[in-house]
Amino acid sequence: MAGVKTPQRVTKEEALNITSMMDLMTIILVFLLKSYSTQDISIAGDSDLQLPSSTSTKDPELAVNLVVSGRQIVVDGVPVLQLTKVPDEENPGKELVAVPEDEKKGQLIPTLFDRLTEKAESAKAIAEASGSSEHEFKGRILLQCDKKLPFSVIREVMYTAGQAQFGEFKFVVYKQE
Amino acid sequence: MAGFKTKRVDSSDELDLVPIMNLVSILIPFLLMAAQFVHLAVIDSTLPAIGEPKEVEEKDEDDKPPLVLTIAVTDKGFFVSGADAVLNPDGGDDEDAGDDEGEERPPTVPCKGNAVCANPDAYDYEELTRKLGLVKDEYPDDENVILLPESRVQYEVLVRLMDACREDRINKNPDGTYRDLFPFVVIAGGAK
Repeated sequence: MAGVKTPQRVTKEEALNITSMMDLMTIILVFLLKSYSTQDISIAGDSDLQLPSSTSTKDPELAVNLVVSGRQIVVDGVPVLQLTKVPDEENPGKELVAVPEDEKKGQLIPTLFDRLTEKAESAKAIAEASGSSEHEFKGRILLQCDKKLPFSVIREVMYTAGQAQFGEFKFVVYKQE
Repeated sequence: MAGFKTKRVDSSDELDLVPIMNLVSILIPFLLMAAQFVHLAVIDSTLPAIGEPKEVEEKDEDDKPPLVLTIAVTDKGFFVSGADAVLNPDGGDDEDAGDDEGEERPPTVPCKGNAVCANPDAYDYEELTRKLGLVKDEYPDDENVILLPESRVQYEVLVRLMDACREDRINKNPDGTYRDLFPFVVIAGGAK
C-alpha cells in the first residue's frame, strides 16, 4: 500500500460547525410556533373515528365530550357501550352500525343515559358550589361522530343526551382551510 | 484606567451558538406537544323545543305566512317543504300533491344524475344552496331550518347539508363575506 498516506493526526481541537443545524432548528421553531394552539379539546385517536370536514369556523369550547366511533360510545374518555353491526336490509351484503337491541329501550340508551345524568348532576353541583354564572350548567355537549355512521345511531344518542338534560349539541368537525 | 488590557478579538472567531442551540432544543419538544396539525370547529344544533304552543300574534292580512322551512333527506335527494310559495310558485303544493295519490312527490333537489345517492358526494349541495338563497330573498329575517334525515343517511351528509344551509358560498356579499342563509339548525327525528 505504498503511496497511501496515513491521515495526519489533528492535534488542534476544532469546534463543530453548528450553523447549518441552527438554520434547521430555526425553521422548525417558526413552523411549530405557527401551529401552536391552545384549543380546549382534543380528538380521540381511534381508527374507527373519522370526523367530517365542514366550512364552520366556530371554535370549540369545553363541555362534556361524547365520542361515537364506528365501534363504541365513549363519554369523557370512558367507554360506555360497544356498538354492533347489523345487515343492511336495503343493500344486501352491506352492514350498518347500530346500537345493540338489548341496550336500548325504544330510542333511549339506558347505559349512556345513566352516565350522562351523572355528568349533568356533577356539573350542576360544581355550578352550585362555585356560585358564579361562568360555571353554570347549560347542557352543552360536544359530539364527535364518525362520518360514516348512519343517522339512526346519531338520533338515538341525541335523544338520550336530550333526556339527560343535554340539549345544546356541538358537532365537532375538521375545519376546512 | 491603567491595568486594563484590551485584548483584540480575532475576526475569524465565530459566534458561539451552543447556548442558543440548547434553548431551541428545549423549546422544540414543548412546541411539538402544543402544536395542532388539524384544526377543529363545531356546528351548533339544538333539539326541537317541546312545550305549550305559543299564542300566535294577530297579524295584518298583508303579512306572509310564517316560514317553517324543513329539509327531509332520503337516498333520492333533498325534499324542501314549507317554502312552496317560492320554490313551486306554479303549484305542486300539498293540496295538488294530494290529487296524485300513490305517486310520490319528486325531490326538490334530486341526486346528481337523478339516480339514487349512493355516497355523500352524490347529493347536490350547490343546487340546494341556490334554492335556499331564493327562499332567503323572500324571507330575509328567517334563520331557522329543520332537518329530517332518514335513518340510513350518513352523518357526513348531515354535516354537509348543515354547511349548505348555513351560508351561501356561491354569491358573496359586496364586502366579500358569505351571505348567511339559515344558520340555526334543528335536527328532528326523521322518518323510518
